[in-house]
Amino acid sequence: MKEAAIPGALGDESFEQEAREGWLSWVASVDHKQLGIMYLLGAFIFFLVAGMLALLMRVQLAVPNNHFLSPQMYNQFFTMHGTTMIFLVVVPLLVGFATYMVPLMIGARDMAFPRLNALSFWVQIFGGVMLYFSFATSGVNGGAPAVGWFSYAPLSETAYSYGPGVNYWILGLLGIGVGTLTAGINLMATIIAMRAPGMSIRRLPLFVWMTLITGFLIVVVMPILNAGLVMLLADRLLNAHFFRAETGGSAVLWQHVFWAFGHPEVYIMVLPAFGIISEVIPVFSGKPIYGYEFVAASTLAIAFLSLTVWAHHMFAVGLGHAFDMFFAICSMAISVPTGIKIFNWTATMYQGRVRFTTAMLFAVSFLLMFTIGGLSGIAFAVVPIDWQLTDSYFVVAHFHYVLFGGTAFALFAGVYYWFPKITGRMLDERWGKVHFWLTFIGFNLTFMIQHVLGMLGMPRRVFTYPPLPGWEAMNLLSTVGAFVLAFAVLILMINVAISLRSGKIAGDNPWDAWTLEWATTSPPPVENFTHGVPPINGRRPLWDLAHPDRTDAMMMKLAG
Amino acid sequence: MADKISPDRTLPDKTKLGVGLFLFSEAWFFLILLLTYMYFHSLPADGPGAANSLNVMHTLVFSVCLFLSSATIHLAAGSFRKGDRSRVNRWLALTVALGAIFLFGQVREYLGLFAHSVTISTNLFGSTFFTLTGFHGLHVLVGLVALMALLGIGMSGRLGDVKPSGFECVTIYWHFVDAVWVVIFTAVYVWPLIA
Amino acid sequence: MAGPYTANAFTLAPASPQAAAISNLFAGTLIFLGAILTLVTFLVIYAVIRYRDRPGAPEAQQIFGSRRLEIIWTVVPILSLAVLTGFMMRAMIASDPPTADARPDLRIVAHQWWWEIIYLKSGVTTANEIHIPVGKRLLVDFRSADVIHDFWVPALGRKIDIVPGHPNRLWIEADHGGTYLGACAEFCGNEHAWMRILVMADPPDEFAAWIKQQSAVPPKPVTADERRGAEIFRENICTNCHLRSVGPDLMHVASRRTLAAGALENTPANLAAWLHDPNNFKPGSNMPDFKLSADDLRALVAFLETQK
Repeated sequence: MKEAAIPGALGDESFEQEAREGWLSWVASVDHKQLGIMYLLGAFIFFLVAGMLALLMRVQLAVPNNHFLSPQMYNQFFTMHGTTMIFLVVVPLLVGFATYMVPLMIGARDMAFPRLNALSFWVQIFGGVMLYFSFATSGVNGGAPAVGWFSYAPLSETAYSYGPGVNYWILGLLGIGVGTLTAGINLMATIIAMRAPGMSIRRLPLFVWMTLITGFLIVVVMPILNAGLVMLLADRLLNAHFFRAETGGSAVLWQHVFWAFGHPEVYIMVLPAFGIISEVIPVFSGKPIYGYEFVAASTLAIAFLSLTVWAHHMFAVGLGHAFDMFFAICSMAISVPTGIKIFNWTATMYQGRVRFTTAMLFAVSFLLMFTIGGLSGIAFAVVPIDWQLTDSYFVVAHFHYVLFGGTAFALFAGVYYWFPKITGRMLDERWGKVHFWLTFIGFNLTFMIQHVLGMLGMPRRVFTYPPLPGWEAMNLLSTVGAFVLAFAVLILMINVAISLRSGKIAGDNPWDAWTLEWATTSPPPVENFTHGVPPINGRRPLWDLAHPDRTDAMMMKLAG
Repeated sequence: MADKISPDRTLPDKTKLGVGLFLFSEAWFFLILLLTYMYFHSLPADGPGAANSLNVMHTLVFSVCLFLSSATIHLAAGSFRKGDRSRVNRWLALTVALGAIFLFGQVREYLGLFAHSVTISTNLFGSTFFTLTGFHGLHVLVGLVALMALLGIGMSGRLGDVKPSGFECVTIYWHFVDAVWVVIFTAVYVWPLIA
Repeated sequence: MAGPYTANAFTLAPASPQAAAISNLFAGTLIFLGAILTLVTFLVIYAVIRYRDRPGAPEAQQIFGSRRLEIIWTVVPILSLAVLTGFMMRAMIASDPPTADARPDLRIVAHQWWWEIIYLKSGVTTANEIHIPVGKRLLVDFRSADVIHDFWVPALGRKIDIVPGHPNRLWIEADHGGTYLGACAEFCGNEHAWMRILVMADPPDEFAAWIKQQSAVPPKPVTADERRGAEIFRENICTNCHLRSVGPDLMHVASRRTLAAGALENTPANLAAWLHDPNNFKPGSNMPDFKLSADDLRALVAFLETQK
């Protein structure tokens, strides 16, 4: 074929080689694996930045009446910490893993829309850069936004935040929102339309299942945020009146719109983490997931219920008991499908053979940490308890148990589990154990005590506090914990650096795992499966290959 | 080039699926803007409002153009499937013309309101009305650009290069924009007449 | 007198029937949730120890699930949450009784970053410190002067948001005398941290005496310093804000326990330090630094200290 001589034509190996190696090739890449890696690295950089902000805040809070940070700086820092962790760290990390793994796990060559995939990534990154550019705005009212990650109006209106910070926040989030939305569409389309023969919806790996549901939530709620953002922007730049009470606007409306997005967003940040756990626990227990259908169906239940619970963030607003009651009952209901998952993961380990790899350690402690976060979530669904504890440090502790003890632990599990596939080398297990224990101890030291601080009446988002009995010691302890946690991150970085250079060669399937990503080389070649996708006759194609005498299909028939 | 691991034949077309999901998400965007409009409209307010500032008959005229353009693009799509290229061009041109009349009407309406000092910053009616209809107008404009691109390709006789799913996506998008206007027209222009 | 920061702000040490209703529910819920946590922890720890991979361990059983167990761990949580919902409904009414028919006794206007407190019957206006008679329920009407704030005194019960354009009402009371510490609980800008509130529950006669004192006009300045201070207070545009609810009314400032919404204890030395450099104690607040000379400062403090 003559066309093959044209550079860039498919099949020109020298070009592909070059295209895969140069730095520029990353920028121009539309390959889901390269984009997945860039998602993970980009999010990790933002994680370091937002983590530094957290450390500075904890230093400020280490002692009462501290003058280390001015209130203006502290308020900017917690706003940027929250916004960054949610929009630029947790979501991109999960999207990054999904971008890398989903096509592999369903036996596809790439995403449904590879170029859109690149667009999603870059728009998201530029949105993040735009957000951080706000720090460079100068003047008395300059600097980053200082309104909290939910940017309540009218504090976020020009009358009370005249600097350009909130404008950058809005524009940055619109950019990130477009990136996330298109990524959600892309992932959904990939999962629905790109599956290999035999990969029916009932055979999807649970990580893929949960990514599909997450994609649905993204598609529904990102536009809700965008609608809120354009209204706020119109208020700020065009002198509109949406959320300005003094001219008839409604501050409560912003809360409705924001939380109609904001609560499902929590599940966007948690469901893929559930997916990672649903892959890691079975593999290291040597057993299939317990109750596959129930784990999958409960995800659907969570997704739909999550659209009906937003106003449990607004119990303190005073919208009436009947109103509060409705959202309280929906919020409690959502704990039922979540509980189903916890019990199924636990049951998966029973009668298994549990291997204590670092990935499994993180996954098992995820079970416990997430349970704590979920249970304190039930406490918040109980309206009168929320009336006492909302906007206190109890809520700070609660959502860090969900998002750090939950999602971040699951992400660490994912890092140890999939690192060999992505890089071709094992992540060192000894450093891994050190990383795990420091994370576990540091995390609990930082956040467990914050439950008590909240119960003792410490409001969140305060840049300092008076020397109340007990507050000093507990805040100091929490600060110490934060530094232990930061040290743990350093260990992870060291581990990655060492393992990239001299880690053990992984081979195709170092964990004896069963999903399709382990059927190809580590790292996988361009277009993923050089020798074709193995036959898919069940949920664990590689198990079936290795045990032709007792495939899943046979065993399930036996079990009835 | 043949896929060694091509997806099942029964799987849906990914392009149409992607556009469908995108429009599904757009529907939520408009829903929020619409609910906001309706919420504030339901509150008592002084000054300019839908009842005393909008001219339903004028708007009805250019709205009918947009509704008709749904029919013309449907015919264009039908001709495209049959491979009748000259008809495709004719129906596309008509669709573009109808869409342009709609936009022209909307611009005229805006200018009229501006002349009476009704702007986005006048009051909540202004804020909600211009945001809601403005974003719809923007979507019409984007649709027009896509239609004109198709028309341009058609006029240069290269319609054969357009994938059927691509053509269909533009059609679906245009129907969506039209459907959104049916809802907006009802809520913004017809509702005050009934109430 | 004990410092203001030894005051009770503990959610589980209720000082009113409303707070007690929440506290009981909270304690019960904590026990219930603690039991679940214990159960899950036990199940997980048992599984990982009992079924850990070790030489001679039996091979993993390929089990796919059990419908019966799924039904159990779906139905049991639903039932227990239904019970919890019942307790919740009872506690909601007990902790936030209906307010519709009564006339408010007190109006609290939340400002960036202080509380304006108006006794609607006597007209007494004060700031950041609420006196209430023990054992008597007062209906509070909450307004915001600017952004969203939140009134939270844990020992007295629920918190309530103060949203501009959305007035709220709440009954507050205290069973027994004491000082209860609270704070603004909704982030409201720069000095959100120093928007604290003290509630003093006094015996009825003391409360009546306090109202009388606050209704009286403070004594006229006597000494030269005091008179000079009064002049500065008028001339130095202090009144532009402090008589117009931009800053707290200072008519009886010397009778208060804290300054700057809790940032400092109210002593003459602290008052002088505050006036000398407000930004040191409450950076970003609306109180300007007037760059007073040492003499003027002494005079102003002397005058303000007469305002009891």
